[in-house]
Amino acid sequence: MTSPRTLIEKTSLPTRRALIQGSAALAVAGLGAPSIARAADPIAIGSLTPNTGGGGPFGPNIAASHRRVVELVNGMGGVLGRPIMLFQEDSETNPEPSARAATKLINVNKVMAILGTWSSSVTLGIMPMCQERDIIQMCTSSSSDIPLRDAKRLVFNFQALSPVWGKAIAELCVQRGFKTYAIMALNNDFTKSMVDSFVAVVGKAAVVEEPFNYNGGQSSYRAEVEKLIARKPAAVFIPSYVQDFTAIYKEIFRAGYEGQVITSSLSTGPQFVQAVGKAADGIIHGFPVPPIGSPVYKEYLAEAGLKDTGQVQHPFGTAGRDQMSVLLLAIEKAGTLEAAKVGAAIHAVTTGPGKTSVTNVVDGLKALRAGKEINFNGASSSVEFDAQNQLKSRAFQLAQIKDGADTVIARLEETT
Amino acid sequence: MIGQLILNGFINAALLAPPAVAFTILFGILKFPNFAIGAYVTVGAFAAFAVNVQLGLPIWVAVVGAMAAGAAVAWLSDALVFKPLRGHAPVTLLVVSIAVAFILEQCVRLFYGGNVRGFDLALERPMRLWGLRITKEQLEILVISAVITLLVHLLLTYTAVGKAMRATADNPGLAEVRGIPHRRIAVFTWLLCGAIFGLSGFLAGLDLVIEPHIGWNLTIPIFAAAILGGIGSAGGALLGAILVGIAEELTVLVLPTTYKVAVGFLIITILLLFRPHGLFGQAEIKK
Repeated sequence: MTSPRTLIEKTSLPTRRALIQGSAALAVAGLGAPSIARAADPIAIGSLTPNTGGGGPFGPNIAASHRRVVELVNGMGGVLGRPIMLFQEDSETNPEPSARAATKLINVNKVMAILGTWSSSVTLGIMPMCQERDIIQMCTSSSSDIPLRDAKRLVFNFQALSPVWGKAIAELCVQRGFKTYAIMALNNDFTKSMVDSFVAVVGKAAVVEEPFNYNGGQSSYRAEVEKLIARKPAAVFIPSYVQDFTAIYKEIFRAGYEGQVITSSLSTGPQFVQAVGKAADGIIHGFPVPPIGSPVYKEYLAEAGLKDTGQVQHPFGTAGRDQMSVLLLAIEKAGTLEAAKVGAAIHAVTTGPGKTSVTNVVDGLKALRAGKEINFNGASSSVEFDAQNQLKSRAFQLAQIKDGADTVIARLEETT
Repeated sequence: MIGQLILNGFINAALLAPPAVAFTILFGILKFPNFAIGAYVTVGAFAAFAVNVQLGLPIWVAVVGAMAAGAAVAWLSDALVFKPLRGHAPVTLLVVSIAVAFILEQCVRLFYGGNVRGFDLALERPMRLWGLRITKEQLEILVISAVITLLVHLLLTYTAVGKAMRATADNPGLAEVRGIPHRRIAVFTWLLCGAIFGLSGFLAGLDLVIEPHIGWNLTIPIFAAAILGGIGSAGGALLGAILVGIAEELTVLVLPTTYKVAVGFLIITILLLFRPHGLFGQAEIKK
């Protein structure tokens, strides 16, 4: 019998452990090839995750979640009586290699959906070819342009849009009483609308320096930091990714700035703290978070082999689990791979009251096969979509780094 | 603010000068622009991290480790890749060097992933001198960079091995006829330049953040500095680094900050159009 793992193809992996696992999978796949050929025609699904680049800290978790769900479902005989064939690629958090990877997934692997894109520029970058070929996309991207450009309503976003981030962070900052701000943001789709919504809440008068963008991957950020702190703002807001933010923050600290540094939580984390040491203390950061403490979040921690620390772990790995679960449940519900019908089924299995609540793909498939209507509640959120396929709500958390660890200072439940 | 920007420009230059000097020396021997220099810098940064953080050894040992790793990787890349391809067109070797850069970067990623890292050194607040800010770390970068550049200049100008390196770069055939051991000089040059790239990796890790792209992010400014100074001129590379460093900083006074990354490309373009041999390089005479 073919092992579920034999139906997973990984072409680019970031870590030694992952490479070893991949090699093992390939070896097993080689042994099991004749079985694959005899099996029912597999359903091809693409996973395009940011294993390297700005999303590097998160991509491997998303990819691992996709694999786990596929292995579970293949262990149950797949969906519609067909096994799932998962093709995994690294987006490099970069639209250009992502476009190449998506072309391969669509034209060579014939996938019916591409899951796991993280950076907005990647999600938007592959959107035209996905729309042209009726490929469903599932992402955790925050650019406001995503619903605007999704003409066929085939993109399902498991993340709050960035205006929600900017608004939530700004509201929590206003509560803390900062009077003046300066803002510099990484030059990409994700940060633009976040800055606009941040300014709308704190007020233009409070922004003492015209917000400006910078490019990532520079050999120095000194000039930008000089500009940022020139007017001595009480707080600086820097939407960014961890690679550039770490270099920028070192420069801010070395420039002697004593005000409050605020960023998104994508820019911090244990590796950031290791890189800058005790200087990290005091930074405020916020982002949408999974429902920590909920049974389904604990379910995810167990699946991923993590201990419950009461802190946010794998913020995007949870979304990866939800993406693959929702897609496979929707395929089972739709009874077809036709994109429009699967899209409608995604709403049917996630949204709306009066249905049987399920928190994992196994229970969901059993319920569907028993003829029940289901509402999937995820480990990343309640996964309720609006008409534009955006999440209706997500929890949002503002934390401050103290003694190298995150201390939650404010939490907004179900921010919309 | 202008004074601070110019001082910042000198700190940028201190990061660019040693690798720009090494790049220009290496070009003299190889006769093609080696795009793998950024990867050598990355290897140096991660080697220093391994010694300092993973092995818990003092920072000066990390410097030695970075230089040793840089030298070893540079020499190996020559022995395994460039030497067998000697005699091929420069453009072929250039493309191969890009491949070497990717391979080395992916090797680093295989062991360390894509996460950010830093040395086991506390960040420090700045000292203030005449209204300008500078940290002890930045002063050390300036001093180390100046000493290394000076030592390389002295080596090339006043020592037998330096003169042999220059002779080999000028005309390897003629140098061999005159009894200069061309192959041994080439190996020494690779080791020396690799050690400088490794050291640059350590300095970059100190100033920026250790991650697999750290060397790649420095590659274009290093090229710009070397081309501006004039390929083959160590002193020119130093001056080129200072000009590029200051130009990048002052750009933000007149242009949006997003245009800053274009400064290196702009300098390369202008130089190639109007003075292809750079400010101090010698125009090649073709017969």
